[in-house]
Amino acid sequence: MNYETVIGLEVHVELATKSKIFCSCNAKYGAGPNEHVCPACCGMPGMLPVVNKRVVDYGMKAGMMLNCHINRTTTFDKKSYYYPDLPCAYQTTQWFAPVAVNGTVEIETSKGKKNVRIKQIHMEEDAGKLVHDLAEDTTHVDFNRTSVPLIEIVSQPDLSSAEEVEAYLERLKMLLRYAKVAECAMEHGTMRCDVNLSVRPEGSDQLGVRTEMKNMNSIEAIKHAIEYETARHIDAIENGTEVLVQETRRWDDIKGKSFAMRNKETAGDYRYFPDPNLMPVVIDDEWYDSIRESLPELPEEKFARYTGELGLNEYDAAQLIKSIALCECFEAAYAVCGNAKEASNWMISEVMSILNQRKMTYDMLNVNGTALGELIKLVMAGEVGRANGKKILAAMFDDTEIVPAEYAKANGYIMSNDVGLIEKVVKEVIASEEKAVNDYKNGKEKALMSLFGRCMKELKGNCDPQVLKSVLTETLNNQ
Amino acid sequence: MDRETLRRLELLNQLSLTETQKEEVTAFFSDREKDMAMLNAIDTSQTERQVHVMPIMTVVREDVASQPFTVEELQKGAPETDQGYWCVPQVME
Repeated sequence: MNYETVIGLEVHVELATKSKIFCSCNAKYGAGPNEHVCPACCGMPGMLPVVNKRVVDYGMKAGMMLNCHINRTTTFDKKSYYYPDLPCAYQTTQWFAPVAVNGTVEIETSKGKKNVRIKQIHMEEDAGKLVHDLAEDTTHVDFNRTSVPLIEIVSQPDLSSAEEVEAYLERLKMLLRYAKVAECAMEHGTMRCDVNLSVRPEGSDQLGVRTEMKNMNSIEAIKHAIEYETARHIDAIENGTEVLVQETRRWDDIKGKSFAMRNKETAGDYRYFPDPNLMPVVIDDEWYDSIRESLPELPEEKFARYTGELGLNEYDAAQLIKSIALCECFEAAYAVCGNAKEASNWMISEVMSILNQRKMTYDMLNVNGTALGELIKLVMAGEVGRANGKKILAAMFDDTEIVPAEYAKANGYIMSNDVGLIEKVVKEVIASEEKAVNDYKNGKEKALMSLFGRCMKELKGNCDPQVLKSVLTETLNNQ
Repeated sequence: MDRETLRRLELLNQLSLTETQKEEVTAFFSDREKDMAMLNAIDTSQTERQVHVMPIMTVVREDVASQPFTVEELQKGAPETDQGYWCVPQVME
């Protein structure tokens, strides 16, 4: 019998705010234990939460990016949860009126395009961190992460393979990064994904027993977990190897297996109830419109503009829209140099190459696009050679304050049009490279390139290659 | 409210009720279920959802980070701390 996998995802995304969701503590990662904590987020009695406006802004923005309906009155609820990483013994989240509902995300796989329905996006607080290995009998608690703002994006069970899940997660990452609401880096824990999975006979409309898997910290791990769990379910159904139960399972990426954690809770077990300390958040027209107006141009819209208005080919445009950071740098550079093709070539050939060499993601790009445009202008005008231009670009990755013209001047990268100097260098090189000169005269064309390279080195690259080639061949032929 | 539901509620709330308490609680919730059934009988399909009994909304604050408390101040009343951490009985074996 053939089976199909039914997958729904719950994706937690940490929002890129400065402060926490219900108090003004710093939301930044990396402080010492409990240094980013106050009486509110460590659950002291009597403390009251106050909503961070930017969290609602970002919740709305994420909802709009995923084509959701925005609830103009949205409320917070308490979810009962007894564990020391949440000091209040409940998590403040949204259950009855989440900020965004009923969206769609279009994905594309080898099987074509497909819409994945979004059930809801809700805003909530993160839990703290527990350290179990500092002492034998105690658990150490760090509340720095407690109340750091999250959105949880809940999909309908519309996904049916690891490939689709990967496409969906990549699309979410791209859209949320374009909107600048989140970093979405699974390796940093700023994007986490729980997979709800069941299998059923192909064509059936009945859902099978569903398990939820946690603890996958990369898309590769998620794909492995889905493949493993699908095989486990099918094996249980076909061969009776075990009885499938609704439960939460933990993925162990090293062992390549999932293990039962706990029986799956139902919504009723959490005993959600409206948070009496937080009044409804009412989103008026002015607030709603300001967020709507702040939405970025979507990747597809940029692609259409780059290939249409700017005349880039589809390959180049597709490379650039991979990241909003690449797009912004390219657009700023183009605005200064006025040549889209040249700006695109620099981005794809040079900037992306340096990013790869330095093992930086596209979103880590820190080069000032305006400065890049100025550099491209210098190279286009023949004031700086391309090779030296690359050196200046590499320096711009290390120092974002560099002004290309000043840097070129200070480092001797300004192109020389002094034919007298070029002739002098050519003569010196010819005098010192007797073998190469003889090889050239005996018909070895490669020897000319060797002499050309040596001259260019002596001139520190500050020479028009055509002028140098002309002077070199003329001098050699006249000998 | 049956005994099985009550047992689950006890478990979720980490409670241990006596037989007398169980009977009282069962009777209490059974009465509340009747109240809820009366409310549920009312047709509210055309009624706008009310999220709060008063026409009020929350205030919001700007996204500005500050850190007015030190770890030492916050942990003054803690029974046990270590290297800046609060310590609790071990939750994993």
